Amino acid sequence: MVKMMKWENIRDKKNTRKLFFWAIPFLLLTSYFLLPTKTAYSQAFCPLNNAPLNPQQVQSLESLKKIPILDEGRIKPLDTYARNLLLRFSGKNSFEKKDAVDWFAQLLFAAETTREDKIFLINNSAIPQALGIDPEGKRRYSFAQIEPHIQKLQELARAADHIDEKKRDIVENEIIRLYVNIELYAELSLNFAFALPHPDFTVSDPENLSKLDLPKAQEFSFWDLASRAQSLNQLADLLESSAPNAWNDRQKEIFRVMQNLFQWGNSYPNLPLRIIPSYSSKDELWLSPWDAIAQDSQEPRSLEEITLLKDLVFAYWEGDQLKFDLAAKTFTQSVNGRLKEKKLKSPGALDLEILFNRLGLFIIAQIFYFLAFFIFLFSFVISKSWLRLTAFSLVSFGFVLHLAGLIMRSIILQRPPVSNLYETFVFVGFIAVLAGIIIEFIQKEWLGILISSICGFIFLIIAGKSSMEGDTLKMLVAVLDSNFWLSTHVLSITIGYAGVCVAGAIGHAYFLQAIFKPKDKEKLISIYKILLGALGFGLTMTFLGTNLGGIWADQSWGRFWGWDPKENGALLIILWCAILFHAKIAKIIGPLGLAAGSVLGIIVVMWAWFGVNLLSVGLHSYGFTSGIALNLAIYVVIQILFLLIAYPLAKRKND
Amino acid sequence: MASVKIILACLVWLFILVFWGTVAQVDQGLYAAQKRFFYSYFFTVFGFIPLPGGQLTLWIMFINLVCAGLVHFVYKWSQIGILVIHLGLLSYFVAAFVTFHGIEESNLSLPEGEGSNVSSSYNEWELSIWPDAEESPRHVSAYDTNHFKENLRLNSTGSDFSIFVRKYFPNAEVLRGQDLTSLALNKEPEKNLPGGIFEIQTAGGQSIPFLLYGAASEATQIKIGQNRFDFALRRKRYPLPFTLTLQDFTMERYPGTETARSYQSKVKIEYDGISREVLIYMNNPLRYKDFTLYQSSYAIDEWGREISTLAVVKNAGRLLPYIASFITFFGLVVHFGIMGVLKSKSRK
Repeated sequence: MVKMMKWENIRDKKNTRKLFFWAIPFLLLTSYFLLPTKTAYSQAFCPLNNAPLNPQQVQSLESLKKIPILDEGRIKPLDTYARNLLLRFSGKNSFEKKDAVDWFAQLLFAAETTREDKIFLINNSAIPQALGIDPEGKRRYSFAQIEPHIQKLQELARAADHIDEKKRDIVENEIIRLYVNIELYAELSLNFAFALPHPDFTVSDPENLSKLDLPKAQEFSFWDLASRAQSLNQLADLLESSAPNAWNDRQKEIFRVMQNLFQWGNSYPNLPLRIIPSYSSKDELWLSPWDAIAQDSQEPRSLEEITLLKDLVFAYWEGDQLKFDLAAKTFTQSVNGRLKEKKLKSPGALDLEILFNRLGLFIIAQIFYFLAFFIFLFSFVISKSWLRLTAFSLVSFGFVLHLAGLIMRSIILQRPPVSNLYETFVFVGFIAVLAGIIIEFIQKEWLGILISSICGFIFLIIAGKSSMEGDTLKMLVAVLDSNFWLSTHVLSITIGYAGVCVAGAIGHAYFLQAIFKPKDKEKLISIYKILLGALGFGLTMTFLGTNLGGIWADQSWGRFWGWDPKENGALLIILWCAILFHAKIAKIIGPLGLAAGSVLGIIVVMWAWFGVNLLSVGLHSYGFTSGIALNLAIYVVIQILFLLIAYPLAKRKND
Repeated sequence: MASVKIILACLVWLFILVFWGTVAQVDQGLYAAQKRFFYSYFFTVFGFIPLPGGQLTLWIMFINLVCAGLVHFVYKWSQIGILVIHLGLLSYFVAAFVTFHGIEESNLSLPEGEGSNVSSSYNEWELSIWPDAEESPRHVSAYDTNHFKENLRLNSTGSDFSIFVRKYFPNAEVLRGQDLTSLALNKEPEKNLPGGIFEIQTAGGQSIPFLLYGAASEATQIKIGQNRFDFALRRKRYPLPFTLTLQDFTMERYPGTETARSYQSKVKIEYDGISREVLIYMNNPLRYKDFTLYQSSYAIDEWGREISTLAVVKNAGRLLPYIASFITFFGLVVHFGIMGVLKSKSRK
């Protein structure tokens, strides 16, 4: 028998739920003490009778991808959910060269087959040590490796949970993260247990079989019997004809089956796979299959939809593509019909999201930016005029993809694409690339291409790293939910950030030009002028953004300015630019000084952008933080080293 | 005083202050850090070294700006951008001054179905006294506790007794119902609960000591001569020129999550004989004269009633920052626009 993945701890947390089985309470009361009870979790499940232990699987899971699911308050396609799940567990959104949805289907329908999959990323090597697991080179572990040590993991996680969030160590946070992921994995694996045969539901008595309209004596699934509730109820009448301790085998079988149905029906409330919208027209909540079984058994549509899900599972095991697609599509149609009635998500939006997932636009854009930079470097070796045009085209093409990605996100979410940290990285990269393209049009001497390719590439990489926390297409907390202010304040301030970062990038270019080609005075002056322009642009947009932020704060909370960390951060950028300009007017610094100042300006922007999130006070703390502090510190050190070396060098060569 | 070096030094110092003040907020809390770094003229480091605070720095910048405007600035059309920018910045200083000295922030918590025409302060307290009789309107005498110190005598008009402050602590704990100890001030000033021991001295020579504590839910009744009076230590009340009644409060969460999607309060506002219904929700406050009321938060009390808390802000200078922003931004656009055009011309 293949062992099922059940876990005691799930039951600890959940509340008791409504009875599915509205019959026989008195029977249970009397006989509870007489017959041994079997808890559902310690059981195993067997695959289809005489079928091999592995499912045949189907070739294409396209129809599965389209099933809508409610997660984190948003209706999304199963495809997105699967990708984010895998990303969350393992840090990658594919597994062994297969799509996330392939692995996810295995988890849902044949969870056993995923036990050895190394999908749990454990970032910190202290944790496998603490649990007693042999460390893996790639830091990814399978459920099979972790399972024997679950008690220890739970202990550690509980202890870590007691510590105040702000005071937790990085190891403690990782333990909690791992524990939550393992729990999620186990819970997801249980969703379709109702469809698979189990010894708890063996019916062998021929009269029982005929009354229940079942074929031959074998193990049946929960659903096989639950869907025959009425007939079972009639059979229950038989139990009244004699005392429990005088029951014959037939009666005992009936009782055992009903008792197991009751227990199973209560064992799995609130599982995370919410794929069935509630049948009541006002309720926005969605149900997991087990919840639907428990709650809405009166609803005829519930019977149909659960049966379709059962068909889905079977088709997957048998490898029957036609049946699988049919079941998935019919199920999706039924659900979409209800969504339409409630005026919720349309199927079109879901398809768009699946397309967006598949295209991976930002990844491709990154590649183009990188190639453009590579060509830039190459142009030092071979100097040909068409190289510049090629690089420019690559950057432009990357830009178009970048733009397309942003537009798709806006459509999917119905709001401007700048509402969480991930999105700001993507957007700032976008503006920086645009600025570079404009600069290239004006100057036509590689500066713009350099800016676009480097900024575009770097910002998208950072964005990629910050997308690990889960679905980046998030719903907004109440205070942010205002399309007007998002489009004005947040957009302008991120454009400001981009401007100052671009100025910093130009500052770097100025230094390199001054060091390696000090003779070309004209070029140096040209770069300097563009630097001033970028700095001015950055200052203006940051200023606008900051003030719009003040106006938004006044409209929402009653004060224009509160010396809040995020407000202060933006003010620092404005002050820094003002300092640079006034120092220039006072003739205290020259072009080189300004270039150095712009380079430092990037650090000020980083501080305002996500450095303040590390402080977590005030009204502005809704971003994410882990891992940033270290990277920010490393960046600052590198920049300062750069200036310490480049500034004296450039000064010497230019005097 | 008009030199650009002064403004440069001020800008650099302000930069340092803003950064320092931001980081200090983690340990000291927003309120204390604001007071120490931004609202002060001076603050001390290591106990005795004085450093200029935000207010002083901003005053110097303001004076410098005015002087520079009179002495240094070049009044030519090519400089129009710079001039407008600095005119805008001047307006910011004016706006900041008016707001800082004029703003009154309080809040109003209303259970569904109830109304009020007074709001409560966040951090300030008062000692209130009123006669324990059924008269309406009730006459309340209130004393701000800001200046309470030992043996202070509170003047009360028209009554035949005086009140002395024997002990007063802005954050206190009651011991055995009879005495008070002082506690350290909380990082979040709203959490401070004051306590005081007071003494009534009647004209007839009687002396009645009593204890009042900020967390008390009911007033303390004391009989003085033939009359009964109620005494309470409560958050300072601000009278409002209108009455607000909460008719209904609703909150929506995103389905299946605990994240709030929206909160809103349906209120009825009454003033000068006019009565109308208004919906207050996030990003949509109620405005009346100098007052603005915002949906701030909510709670559910022990009887399951919903209580909506509205933030009340009285600020005559509310619109000044808007004007300053507009002017300055316009100046920035004009200036950099002009610069852009000039520089690109010089390139050709």
